[in-house]
Amino acid sequence: MNYKVILNIIGFLLILTGILMTTGIPFSIYYGHDDIIAILISSGISLLAGVSVWFFTRDADRQQLGKREGYLIVTLGWLSMAIFGSIPFVIHGSIPNYTDAFFETMSGFTTTGATILTDIEAMPYGLLFWRSLTQWLGGMGIIVLSLAILPLLGIGGMQLFSAEVPGVTKDKFHPRVKETAKRLWGIYVILTATEVVLLLIGGLNLFDAINHSFTTMATGGFSTKNANTAHFDSVFVQYVFIVFMLFAGMNFTLHYFALHLKFDAFKRNTEFKFYVLFIFLVTIFIMFIHRPHHEFELEESFRQTLFHVTSLVTTTGYVSSDFENWAPFSRMIFFALLFIGGCAGSTGGGIKFARHYLLFRNGFLELKRLVHPRAVIPVRFNGKSVSPEIISNVQAFFILYILIFVFASIIVSLLGLDFASAAGAVAACLGNIGPGIGIVGPAGNFAALPELVKWILSALMLIGRLELFTVLIIFSSAFWKK
Amino acid sequence: MNIKFVINVLGFLLILTGLLMLTGLPFSIYYGDNDIFVLLLSGLSTALFGSFLWFVSRKNLVKEISKREGYLVVTLGWFLMSVFGSFPFFFSGYIPSFTNTFFETVSGFTTTGASILTDVEALPHGLLFWRSMTHWIGGMGIIVLSIAILPFLGIGGMQLYQAEVAGPSKDKLHPRVQETAKRLWAIYVLFTAVETLLLMFGGMSLFDSLCHSFGTLATGGFSTKNQSVAYYQSTYIEYVIIIFMFIGGTSFSLHYLALKGNVLNYFKESEFRFYISFTALVVLSTSLYLILHNDQNIESAFRDSAFSIISVISSTGFATVDYQTWAPFFTEIFLVLLLFGACAGSTSGGVKMVRYQLLFKNSLLELKRLIHPQAVIPVRQNSKAVQPDIIAKIGVFVLLYFFIFAIGSVILTITGLDSTSAMGAVAACLANIGPGLNVTGPVSNYSSVTDVGKWVLSFIMLLGRLEIFTILILFSPSFWKK
Repeated sequence: MNYKVILNIIGFLLILTGILMTTGIPFSIYYGHDDIIAILISSGISLLAGVSVWFFTRDADRQQLGKREGYLIVTLGWLSMAIFGSIPFVIHGSIPNYTDAFFETMSGFTTTGATILTDIEAMPYGLLFWRSLTQWLGGMGIIVLSLAILPLLGIGGMQLFSAEVPGVTKDKFHPRVKETAKRLWGIYVILTATEVVLLLIGGLNLFDAINHSFTTMATGGFSTKNANTAHFDSVFVQYVFIVFMLFAGMNFTLHYFALHLKFDAFKRNTEFKFYVLFIFLVTIFIMFIHRPHHEFELEESFRQTLFHVTSLVTTTGYVSSDFENWAPFSRMIFFALLFIGGCAGSTGGGIKFARHYLLFRNGFLELKRLVHPRAVIPVRFNGKSVSPEIISNVQAFFILYILIFVFASIIVSLLGLDFASAAGAVAACLGNIGPGIGIVGPAGNFAALPELVKWILSALMLIGRLELFTVLIIFSSAFWKK
Repeated sequence: MNIKFVINVLGFLLILTGLLMLTGLPFSIYYGDNDIFVLLLSGLSTALFGSFLWFVSRKNLVKEISKREGYLVVTLGWFLMSVFGSFPFFFSGYIPSFTNTFFETVSGFTTTGASILTDVEALPHGLLFWRSMTHWIGGMGIIVLSIAILPFLGIGGMQLYQAEVAGPSKDKLHPRVQETAKRLWAIYVLFTAVETLLLMFGGMSLFDSLCHSFGTLATGGFSTKNQSVAYYQSTYIEYVIIIFMFIGGTSFSLHYLALKGNVLNYFKESEFRFYISFTALVVLSTSLYLILHNDQNIESAFRDSAFSIISVISSTGFATVDYQTWAPFFTEIFLVLLLFGACAGSTSGGVKMVRYQLLFKNSLLELKRLIHPQAVIPVRQNSKAVQPDIIAKIGVFVLLYFFIFAIGSVILTITGLDSTSAMGAVAACLANIGPGLNVTGPVSNYSSVTDVGKWVLSFIMLLGRLEIFTILILFSPSFWKK
């Protein structure tokens, strides 16, 4: 194991964190808020730690970077970013408890959007901006960002990229990972900027527009308002959110092709078709069964349902009304949606459409295989047949996901949460969604949970964001052998 | 498709069902109950209809069949048996709604043990005996029984056997399927007889001990008393039932090998070791909790937890106490246990230990495979490598299982159940356990479920008993394509 290069890159990540932390200061100055010093001190701490780690390991051989180092850098990098990223909240005193600050930051970086804040509007704008920025950075991935802007990562970059963006099937825009990373971030910035403009047109001020665009495109879900997106009470704004959540939940490769006017890619993409069809059908279904329980107009009923289905499926976690109480059976339906996840290659978390599709298609073909035991019947995805190894990997992912969900729910309910809340909190954190059901549901938040539960949920968020294997592999004995 | 053969076998199954219906008559006569006429009528009309089917299809019968006919016979056979088997309840007027009688009979044949009866003791003895008899027949399987006693099935027997006993490991006790079936039924009868004697020794009447032995060995769970086994207030009887529930959850081929050879053969089987240690772990930790937190004395804590937990894991569903009152989180623990199931090749339902064992091993090895992408790392069970396509098939099974569980729970909540009861009911019916949680829990029953819910649950019970594929395959287009 090449520890020097691991430390060296983590040093870089901390320097980056320290610099990015200060980006909210202009808003603090403009609105005259009192968090400037706290942010500067925290930034100083991050920079100092980053620079000193980097300095002592500056002779590291960055070409000596294998798979193992990749997994360690990504896991430890995310962990250190969350540790240092939470410092401003503690120093300023707006989140006095370190557990809470860490939870909030981890929830930010992993784009979960689960919050322990009960009065978000009381926070100074510099900190709020940093809170939303953590989601934006975490959405496309800070390692991907480093690959795009830092020239120093040579061959090892691919290992880092595949540890942070494990995905299901690898689609690269460009043989060079740096170019891929640049294009991904390019599209991400363009989409975010477009949303900012549209939200400004919808009547939001610049600060709210930027913050919400960050958290939409990252499928994060943090808002600057206590009432979350319901605060804006505008049909136009809500549709903007819906559309951009849908964009964020799509594979970014598709956006790239769309920008180059190659729309064929959409037709060939099995996952995209499945994604759109699923959201549409589920929305219609939920709308239909809820009609008798609502006084909503048809349009409002459609909009509210689509909003929440999109929000949960893409793992954003925005809320605009308490969907759990729409009807007695709503809780169960929305709970089931916590297990879907966005498309592979999107900023969404969870199990993801590609995996669901492959598992389903394979399950269906298994029936065919039973009738024709000698035939070789492969699963086809995006027009290509998928190797049995990938199917087996997806199955292993699914089993581990369910296993982690079950064990974590039991532990969390042993620690005092009721059944529904425990299952909801775990599913929402593991899937990087945010609000679950019960006391952590759309009308509640994570403030009242016991400390230990918050630490467990923080760990789950990280495991979920890095798609299980990147974190779990570090705990396997084979990882440390030789 | 050899339709003639299908009809012919179905005819035989109905003759058998009709004749078995009459086995409760001696008890009706002895106790002077009023159900003699109904039993005679239902039994004879079923047998008559069966003879008719057999008669019209007997000419030029080709006994050569393929897998397809196997699946069709088994699915239709179980369905028809449930329809005809419900006649005695329906025509006697004790269960006036056909939905209820069908539910009760499916619950019997599939060894689920979910009941809609609020007052079991009001039923006459002949009907109660038939109710328990459905368990016993369904436990080892009526097809297996037919193969054992009907010599005419010949070569087709193997296809039928595989469709009814669809488990992941097919250990044949004998190259000839008829001999295998005979041996399985012999052990089954032997254990049932032993339990009957032991229960009579504990003070039960012959009638009650027979019915309870049927319910135990089949891992069914129907009792002849409203309070289930708690009625007898006997420590001895509870221990006898605990032991035989555990036996019912063990592979019957393993019983055969152990009885014929060495008792230590049990421990040579990896699944059995997993089964016994998993059960012991859960029972002991639960007992510990009951002793420390609920101030129960050691013996009764052990007995209560062993009874409830083995009852659920072995998918029996007898109850002595309401485990949901032990502590709030036991609801969640039992929901998880409802998704387990005991050994493959036993009379129990559910996912089964070996499937979880193999998938768990495979998922851990997947971490190893990520580090060594070129290495071929097979899963090992009983120190033999397991074929990747078996693992893949198990993966599909578990996925479909969880999918059915999720969809079923959503449907049941829409019919008006609260989410915990809905999940409990679906999990309990899919795994053929019986009592679920809350409204459908151990001290309650299924009478409050709506009619739609009961039909859905009946279908789910059949799906679970025939291990999903046997039924689902009929819905795949490739099944019907020539």
